[in-house]
Amino acid sequence: MKLQDVDVAVIGAGPAGMAAAIKAREAGAEKVILMERAEELGGLLHQCVHNGFGLLYFNEDLSGPEYGHRFIEKVMDTGVTPLLETMVVRLGQDRQIGAVNTREGFITFRPKSIVLAMGCRERSRGALNIPGTRPAGVLTAGTAQRFVNVEGFVPGKKIVILGSGDIGMIMARRLTLEGAQVEAVVEILPYIGGLIRNEVQCLHDFEIPLFLEHTVTRIHGEQRLEAVTIARVDGQRNPVAGTQRVIACDSLLLSVGLIPENELSLMAGIQLDPVTGGALVDETRQTTVPGVFAGGNVLHVHDLVDNVSWESELAGESAARFAAAGKPEARGEIKVKAGRNIRYVVPQTISGRKDTTLYMRVSEPEETVRIKVGNITTKGMRAVKPSEMLKIELSADKLEKLKEGTQEIIVDCEKRGGK
Amino acid sequence: MAKEKTYICIGCPLGCEVTLTIDKKGGVVGFSGNKCKEGEKYVLEEYTNPVRTLTATVLTEGSSQPLLAVRSNKPILKTKLAQSMAVLAKARAKPPLKMGDIIVPNLLDTGADIVASSDLSS
Ligand code: SF4
Repeated sequence: MKLQDVDVAVIGAGPAGMAAAIKAREAGAEKVILMERAEELGGLLHQCVHNGFGLLYFNEDLSGPEYGHRFIEKVMDTGVTPLLETMVVRLGQDRQIGAVNTREGFITFRPKSIVLAMGCRERSRGALNIPGTRPAGVLTAGTAQRFVNVEGFVPGKKIVILGSGDIGMIMARRLTLEGAQVEAVVEILPYIGGLIRNEVQCLHDFEIPLFLEHTVTRIHGEQRLEAVTIARVDGQRNPVAGTQRVIACDSLLLSVGLIPENELSLMAGIQLDPVTGGALVDETRQTTVPGVFAGGNVLHVHDLVDNVSWESELAGESAARFAAAGKPEARGEIKVKAGRNIRYVVPQTISGRKDTTLYMRVSEPEETVRIKVGNITTKGMRAVKPSEMLKIELSADKLEKLKEGTQEIIVDCEKRGGK
Repeated sequence: MAKEKTYICIGCPLGCEVTLTIDKKGGVVGFSGNKCKEGEKYVLEEYTNPVRTLTATVLTEGSSQPLLAVRSNKPILKTKLAQSMAVLAKARAKPPLKMGDIIVPNLLDTGADIVASSDLSS
């Protein structure tokens, strides 16, 4: 395929990119390329050997590699062209892509439309500034996951995990099964950062101690990590004097959050949402640069891969439509704002004329609530947690209830009265 | 004397702490703490037959890839997880393998097989 003729270029071939590329083909785009810096398709799914993938999308309990396999096969069947070991290093406001690989050196081309699917990366120790020495043995949970599940070695024998995100809890179980001793999982918040099923099946099943409202305050050891000091924190998340305890360990895993990878988006002048760290998009997942769409963890960090796939399909479909029309559709102009106990809502703008799914997260756990979108009240919920993404589907009919001339709608999580 | 056992229900984000009351013979005589019926079903299952899908890796022989991701094709009793890992430590995966190929049949007589979670080439 000549790069000059590309209709849709998808950047990143993890779950988001694969879903977007497949959907773009299915929606009629003729020439779709899937650009990936690694040697193979699938992204991080290869190292996520645990199950729990696809419960919603396929109605089956799959492992990461199994979930990836289904999409890789479909990429091939639908005639998407993968461009592997190719790293995109430039993205212009005019959709000009610059990329490098060892076959052709530097290549540039301008596809009719683009889907950003670069995913996210882990917050590292530098971002947290834990005081103490800098010995070997401090690594992110995802790096440990790669060591254990792909490279074939266990990074330590006595492990402390900072942060109770899903990857951290899953690694606690995995390392225990491989014979390591997980001494503690330490979480600064009063509740866990990941899914409940992981708290039960990864921590409780193996009697791994969980310290809520605690954090690591010091790292000890010269060459190799020897211990960490942990302490309880107050309501302002400051360590409380006199609550320190030292835990001997040879490895500290950090599972303290994910950051969308948006260097290319910034290069292209795409506006980002300071809360999600991803692009501002409308309901078609178009960014503020016409013809550039985004989906998956590059847009906002998802809880489940199933939601990544669905959202990216939407971005892929929109990109195919743009490539065919050659010009933008009228952009959604109604601003969607996060209100009471809502941390963010994606998309940030909607047209109010199409069926729309709003993805959102709450700021604090709360029970017996309902979500209100402007003057539209949606389903009640028994409980909401920051770790679980909420999905509110609004049909075009429902959106008609918005008043004529609405420019902004506020999404609130409100307390339900009564029993 | 009746005994009590507490579980966290994973049925929804509420995560109710459900307490089971068990009589002398181990029979369930009561539930408390669950905010809906789902909780009873879940806790009963956890009390009588707590099963988990085992996912892990096995070493390969004759492949450039050091490990193969594997899983049990059925959930197994969670009390058998540690013993199962000892079996997997001795197993070797030899290419070529396809996703779903059996690596360890009838793991510890559980009726579950350990199968390849992805393809393996040399
Ligand atoms: S008992 Fe019902 S309400 Fe409570 S966690 Fe389970 S499913 Fe949710």
